[in-house]
Amino acid sequence: MSDTPPIVLEFDSVTKWYGSVAALLDVSFQVCTEVVGLVGKNGVGKSTLMKLAVGLLNPSQGAVRVCGSDATTREARARIGFCPDFDRLYEPLSGVKFVAWMLRYHGVAARAATMRAEEVLTELGLAEDMYRPIREYSKGMRQRVRLGQALAHRPQFVLLDEPMTGLDPVARAELADLIRGLPQRGVGVLVSSHVLHELEAVVDRVVLVHQGRLLADGKVEALRDQLPERPHRLRLKGARLRELASQLTNWPEVDGVSFLSDGLEVSLSGHGAFYQRFSDLAGDWQGGIHELIPLDDDLAAVFGYLVE
Amino acid sequence: MTTTTNSAAGNSGLARAVPGLSVLATMLESARQTLVMLRYRRILWVAPIGLLLLFALAFVLAGTARSRSDGAHLYSVFAWWGLATVVMPWATLFLGVQAVHGELEDRTSQYLFLRPVHRVPLLLGKWLAIAAVSSALACCSAAALYVAVASREDLWPDGREPWLLVSFCIVLGLGATAYSAVAVFLAATFRRPLAWAAFFVVGLQMLAANLPVSAGLRQLTITDPLRRMTLDLIEPSRRLARALWPAERNEALSIENGTGAFLLEFGSPLCSLLILVVVCLTLGCWQYARTEYESRSRD
Repeated sequence: MSDTPPIVLEFDSVTKWYGSVAALLDVSFQVCTEVVGLVGKNGVGKSTLMKLAVGLLNPSQGAVRVCGSDATTREARARIGFCPDFDRLYEPLSGVKFVAWMLRYHGVAARAATMRAEEVLTELGLAEDMYRPIREYSKGMRQRVRLGQALAHRPQFVLLDEPMTGLDPVARAELADLIRGLPQRGVGVLVSSHVLHELEAVVDRVVLVHQGRLLADGKVEALRDQLPERPHRLRLKGARLRELASQLTNWPEVDGVSFLSDGLEVSLSGHGAFYQRFSDLAGDWQGGIHELIPLDDDLAAVFGYLVE
Repeated sequence: MTTTTNSAAGNSGLARAVPGLSVLATMLESARQTLVMLRYRRILWVAPIGLLLLFALAFVLAGTARSRSDGAHLYSVFAWWGLATVVMPWATLFLGVQAVHGELEDRTSQYLFLRPVHRVPLLLGKWLAIAAVSSALACCSAAALYVAVASREDLWPDGREPWLLVSFCIVLGLGATAYSAVAVFLAATFRRPLAWAAFFVVGLQMLAANLPVSAGLRQLTITDPLRRMTLDLIEPSRRLARALWPAERNEALSIENGTGAFLLEFGSPLCSLLILVVVCLTLGCWQYARTEYESRSRD
């Protein structure tokens, strides 16, 4: 038996044309049983990519496969869960009825569908309100219903479009836990979000789309390391800043040091070597080093650098 | 949100995919869901009030018209000119457009398109539901009208004629079914289906009504076959035939004694209606079943 995780979504040299406009150009990537973030500005082909992934569009060239089947087939749709970003549901129905109705199309008997809908909405924290009409729901409750219909049929590939929208901080943290837990159940997840720090907290790797092309695919740290022309920047706070600055400027991996109102900003050419050396220095530093914050190692910074 | 249990999205690794519904089951489920959703449409809550108003209006008019018309004449004129040409078409088209186009406009149709079922039975199920509700509404209206006119005993010197009610129920039911198909086609195809519906009812049908009786364009309408069926069923007097088909006196008189409107042969009114329904549903389903079909790409 192979230990290779199963591929739940595969884009194979996918190009999508709208008339003479190319929305996506030769995009290839895979999603296994993991959480992958989809990042891109508005209008760069992200929506087209998501529609292709759930079989709502045909690729002009290439192939999109979900669990080995063409994404537009019934076999693929049985394995897809999609939580859209638009806030429309069947307003007069209760949350449980809406989810049960959607389950019916998966061949689930009426009673079993209702029970499963109750189960999944309870897990999503809607136990008390699931029998109320959806039109009375808050934004966060509606989001849970959308998530519920995406997860109720036990899909193998889940596409979440802005899933955190409308949720309060506690619910966001709980949803992040839920998303992080999905791969352990054999589910591959593609999450799209504009809130990059939240996305970074849940994803194993990211796929960056820009102007219809796949700009980058990998772990955030690895992507950051692939930008040698962009020196890493750090903010340091501690005692005896002038002495610290003069020492650091002598290190070969330090490109420059500048003074801030309450600390130092350090530019690095080789951050791996710097951290090794700095840990020794910080341990012995009289008065102590109080803070060391990487300023541009996060997803937002990497994304910004890549699209510039 | 409780995330301690492990079944929100499955607990068995790459779990067996749940199979989708069969074509027939999908159609019935779609019809059932559409019926439930139609229950919440405002137009259906207005319907009882409309029926009461219709009853009252017919009752009052029947009282003032007794010197000029008998009950059968009065009821037929009300049912044809009021229900069959105005209320039933517009109510059906409105309901149909709301049921299909409403979901496309607010994109809730995407929830359905992502299920492992064919889209054709989804749309056919909606058509079935719309046709059933519209037919029921039309028959209730015909019954309310009949009760109002029949309550004036002096208008029926030879006794009341319940067959009239049955005839109009048949005609209105067939008409509602055909208009539902038109509504489904327009809603699935165009971005502004009600404008196209107005063109169909007011433009195309009125144009066809002014063409010679032999004109082929008449076969593309619903009013023309329905009128022939009505005249065939109710066996009207000369006066009533002229009242129901004023522009075509000679034709009206010639079909007084029945023309086989319900024969299932090419060119008969029933066949024309059937062809119209099949063509509308085929075109509507063809649009709806396209992979790249969604509200923003239409029209």
